[in-house]
Amino acid sequence: MFYLRGCGRWVAASFTKQQFPLVRLSSDSAAPRTPHFDVIVIGGGHAGTEAATAAARCGSRTLLLTHRVDTIGQMSCNPSFGGIGKGHLMREVDALDGLCSRICDQSGVHYKVLNRRKGPAVWGLRAQIDRKLYKQNMQKEILNTPLLTVQEGAVEDLILTEPEPEHTGKCRVSGVVLVDGSTVYAESVILTTGTFLRGMIVIGLEMHPAGRLGDQPSIGLAQTLEKLGFVVGRLKTGTPPRIAKDSINFSILNKQTPDNPSVPFSFTNETVWIKPEDQLPCYLTYTNPRVDEIVLNNLHLNSHVKETTRGPRYCPSIESKVLRFPNRLHQVWLEPEGMDSDLIYPQGLSMTLPTELQEKMITCIRGLEKAKVIQPGYGVQYDYLDPRQITPSLETHLVQRLFFAGQINGTTGYEEAAAQGVIAGINASLRVSRKPPFVVSRTEGYIGVLIDDLTTLGTSEPYRMFTSRVEFRLSLRPDNADIRLTLRGYKDAGCVSQQRYEGACWMKSSLEEGISVLKSIEFSSSKWKNLIPEVSISTSRSLPVRALDVLKYEEVDMDSLAKAVPEPLKKYTKCRELAERLKIEATYESVLFHQLQEIKGVQQDEALQLPKDIDYLTIRDVSLSHEVREKLHFSRPQTIGAASRIPGVTPAAIINLLRFVKTTQQRQAAMNESPKTDQCLRNADRLQERQL
Amino acid sequence: MRNSKPPLAVICTALCQARSVLSSIPYSYCQSRCARTLKIRSHVARGTTFRYTHLHRAPASLSTLHQPMEAKIFRWWAGRILRLCTRRSSGAAAPGSGATIFALSSGQGRCGIAVIRTSGPSSGHALRILTAARDLPPARHASLRLLSDPRSGEPLDRALVLWFPGPRSFTGEDCVEFHVHGGPAVVSGVLQALGSVPGLRPAEAGEFTRRAFANGKLNLTEVEGLADLIHAETEAQRRQALRQLDGELGHLCRGWAETLTKALAHVEAYIDFGEDDNLEEGVLEQADIEVRALEVALGAHLRDARRGQRLRSGAHVVVTGPPNAGKSSLVNLLSRKPVSIVSPEPGTTRDVLETPVDLAGFPVLLSDTAGLREGVGPVEQEGVRRARESCNFLATVVASVGAQSPSDSSQRLLLVLNKSDLLSPEGPGPRPDLPPHLLLSCLTGEGLDGLLEALRKELAAVCGDPSTGSPLLTRARHQHHLQGCLDALSHYKPSKDLALAAEALRVARGHLTRLTGGGGTEEILDIIFRDFCVGK
Repeated sequence: MFYLRGCGRWVAASFTKQQFPLVRLSSDSAAPRTPHFDVIVIGGGHAGTEAATAAARCGSRTLLLTHRVDTIGQMSCNPSFGGIGKGHLMREVDALDGLCSRICDQSGVHYKVLNRRKGPAVWGLRAQIDRKLYKQNMQKEILNTPLLTVQEGAVEDLILTEPEPEHTGKCRVSGVVLVDGSTVYAESVILTTGTFLRGMIVIGLEMHPAGRLGDQPSIGLAQTLEKLGFVVGRLKTGTPPRIAKDSINFSILNKQTPDNPSVPFSFTNETVWIKPEDQLPCYLTYTNPRVDEIVLNNLHLNSHVKETTRGPRYCPSIESKVLRFPNRLHQVWLEPEGMDSDLIYPQGLSMTLPTELQEKMITCIRGLEKAKVIQPGYGVQYDYLDPRQITPSLETHLVQRLFFAGQINGTTGYEEAAAQGVIAGINASLRVSRKPPFVVSRTEGYIGVLIDDLTTLGTSEPYRMFTSRVEFRLSLRPDNADIRLTLRGYKDAGCVSQQRYEGACWMKSSLEEGISVLKSIEFSSSKWKNLIPEVSISTSRSLPVRALDVLKYEEVDMDSLAKAVPEPLKKYTKCRELAERLKIEATYESVLFHQLQEIKGVQQDEALQLPKDIDYLTIRDVSLSHEVREKLHFSRPQTIGAASRIPGVTPAAIINLLRFVKTTQQRQAAMNESPKTDQCLRNADRLQERQL
Repeated sequence: MRNSKPPLAVICTALCQARSVLSSIPYSYCQSRCARTLKIRSHVARGTTFRYTHLHRAPASLSTLHQPMEAKIFRWWAGRILRLCTRRSSGAAAPGSGATIFALSSGQGRCGIAVIRTSGPSSGHALRILTAARDLPPARHASLRLLSDPRSGEPLDRALVLWFPGPRSFTGEDCVEFHVHGGPAVVSGVLQALGSVPGLRPAEAGEFTRRAFANGKLNLTEVEGLADLIHAETEAQRRQALRQLDGELGHLCRGWAETLTKALAHVEAYIDFGEDDNLEEGVLEQADIEVRALEVALGAHLRDARRGQRLRSGAHVVVTGPPNAGKSSLVNLLSRKPVSIVSPEPGTTRDVLETPVDLAGFPVLLSDTAGLREGVGPVEQEGVRRARESCNFLATVVASVGAQSPSDSSQRLLLVLNKSDLLSPEGPGPRPDLPPHLLLSCLTGEGLDGLLEALRKELAAVCGDPSTGSPLLTRARHQHHLQGCLDALSHYKPSKDLALAAEALRVARGHLTRLTGGGGTEEILDIIFRDFCVGK
């Protein structure tokens, strides 16, 4: 038991569940019969909703605690989902049966795939979303999720108890205290507080505490976390003003129309809810030197820009764009906020100037001459917790069964939050049922890259997903997220529905079969040229050419191939998705071959687990330099692979760590006769699955 | 790989290859019989697809023929298919298996026998390629094989080779050991030959150990000792790399890596931000121009590097000075064999004569040159020109014989005054007007020890400690990575799939940064955010 927050409250542990007989300290003492859940999720944003539903899907009785139920699923910033890299994350969230992709397919007003011409590995699924619809659909989904309870309430404190001896961490969370003093107990707690931890809104020189415009920040919780010894940093972000739709002269602006047909985000949807012709357009305009002038002349009125809080290297606000890249025209996208919304979101105009100057600046932009600002842009400064304090399963090193997901870990973006939410929800639930954590490796998905980057390297700017961060970009594509994650999500996490699992299994076996058939068909190049006249194949090669290689040519798709060789290829064109995916597999086949080798190397390193309870600072029988010790101590890598990615950890240190792992393994093997074979088998399984 | 059944698709491919063999046999009953045996006759005849369900029985049915004439052909054919199958399954870069690594495993520096080891699935493949053999030698038996360079066919060495199929090997993977003669040229030749085999790459520090460890092959004490060794190895490699990277090559490499990183960053920016944010026009075009220029530069460098291979396999010591000073005598003395003709006549040596020698443990290329003088015939004049050139070109240590300094070059200069036997014993002592010098008599050998000691010091300063390995061994690594970089760049085709093009650049950059260090994603992002106004 721990004495907390100086308010004179001793918090008793409640051990009502049968599965913890050993730690029943206060035994039958009058433990209050307060509500008891398996998992509590604090926060109803994009991470919170995913976390709560993922935990519930895994079979945990889950409580979602939020300040206001009507803000669940609120899109606080841009009215869009997806994009390059972010679209990849959404596909992976969907592969784990997460919500956001499906909700987006029901709520979008403008669907567009970015990077169409640059190759399917980097296609960016993106959509403008109707805020209201999204919120409605999300709330409907949340309120109808089995095992999930939603309750309004601000969390003030955490209830902490004695740690479980077999895990590291100085204490264990067992519930939360609400502002009204009531308590709720749970086996795991997930914090997804977004920008609410000591959130501060900045407009011009004014600052006032708020998590979002109009919402109270969480200060008590921030103090609790700091007191527990979490390293807290501060980040800033911002959002642009909203403009009245009818005050904009769209007729002189560049119009961007949505894709036809629309590509859905979710693997389970063949199409989206709205026809392309009913969708709303976006408009493009540009800033001009007059905008630069207003920014530069009013820097003294702009405390958000001046302050030393670390902003990102990229340019989040129009102020930083002007300051870093002067004398340029910057794009401003005018995006619809929804079907029946009167607001327009000027993407690219995030700013923190005083309100009156915001309107002045906006009205000097082409098309916005008469624009009315309905809600001013503002900056938010908030606490984040150094993500090196959490494990790849998103549990904190310090407090057992406490999980962090979303902006609290220093990320930015709905999709990044949602991705962490799913993982935190799954792991909080697995932790309750005492199963091994579900960790997505860098070799398996963008989610893995995101979490590995955060937990091993930390971040000093709001972390945003880019495809350039991903080493195995050609293997981790939006099209194959289901093969990568759905099968694992079903077997290892139990967060995937039977129906989705079967769909993914069918797709996987069809793809494998299709590829081997395509490999087995071989003709001379001149014969191919006769069969498919449009292919630009060189007929000078004497070796026979596989159908798979013919499919690599841009001008060939499964349809033209099936027309040339109807038997046995015709059946692969019946399912459009399958035909498209075969084409993509063919495009990257030669490179994937080599990438698989590298992936295996990385996975070998990741299979070598470092003991969790190792104290790097004092451990004696490993010879490590002081610098390396400190780095390892802070990041607490879980595997040799993660350790070797920490800058400054030398190969010699890695070998010493290996030796340590070996010692530990031997000790463990001596203790129980069935050492880590399960782990090996699981890894072998995973490898097999990836060999498509 | 061994004994395990190759996957169906692999057999398909092998059979398809075999079919091309079949079609080269003139049409006869052999062919028809052959095809029927494969149960794919109609497909072969019509040239359409195989029914792949039939194929897994094919290699087996091939060997069941009884008629002698056909049996002979078919057995050969079956053998070929099976070989193809084996090669497919154990061949370079089998999917799902780690890369194959190689390294010099015995200590670096001079030694009688050097052991080069490979580990990984392509080990057997590499062994067959280097020994030009169809079959692998018996497992765990030493056999004598002629190793030759797979690219040129040039013989490298007659070596003992050992084939350790996994898991009964040092690392638990397929391993091959080449016990070659320890000369640096041989070692470097074999390393380069291995580097040219697809699927093989030089091992990183400690990589063998880690693989052995991962496969449960090391006990604790072994790992303990190895940690120190690897530490030393990395240190030595680092110093080696630093020394190499100080020079011209390092300058070049860093320049290339910088260009490539920037080009990659711009391509990545175009992928990640090209549609959402406004990048300037011509980002891709500029990257393309830079990559093509880099390709040309790398290609030229590699061609040049091959030509200069022999020349650079040691420190250069050029003996130069006025005619008839005894340069050739000194060269003969140092190399202990009559390299140059010696005569009392000035101008006996007209060309640059090079001979590789071992001086105080260092591999040295010793050059005898024509005496420097003016106003002689065109042939000797050319010799003098060449002599001067070799001083300017690669000379790292110049031992000058005679009383006058040959040039004002910045190379290390060791001034040696020959014919000390002609000085009267009680004659003038050290000449104060001359720079520090050594006295030597090639005739009596007096002063030779002093010269050798001085040379050793000079060479150590140039080559570093011989125990850290000669530059020659790291050169194999350089060449491997530069070639890898060049190969990857040739796959850069931004007009098609940009993600594929970027991958080519990533691979190319990976090779360069192995040589120069660095290479993280953050560098790329730094450049993107420095050069472009992106984000929202």
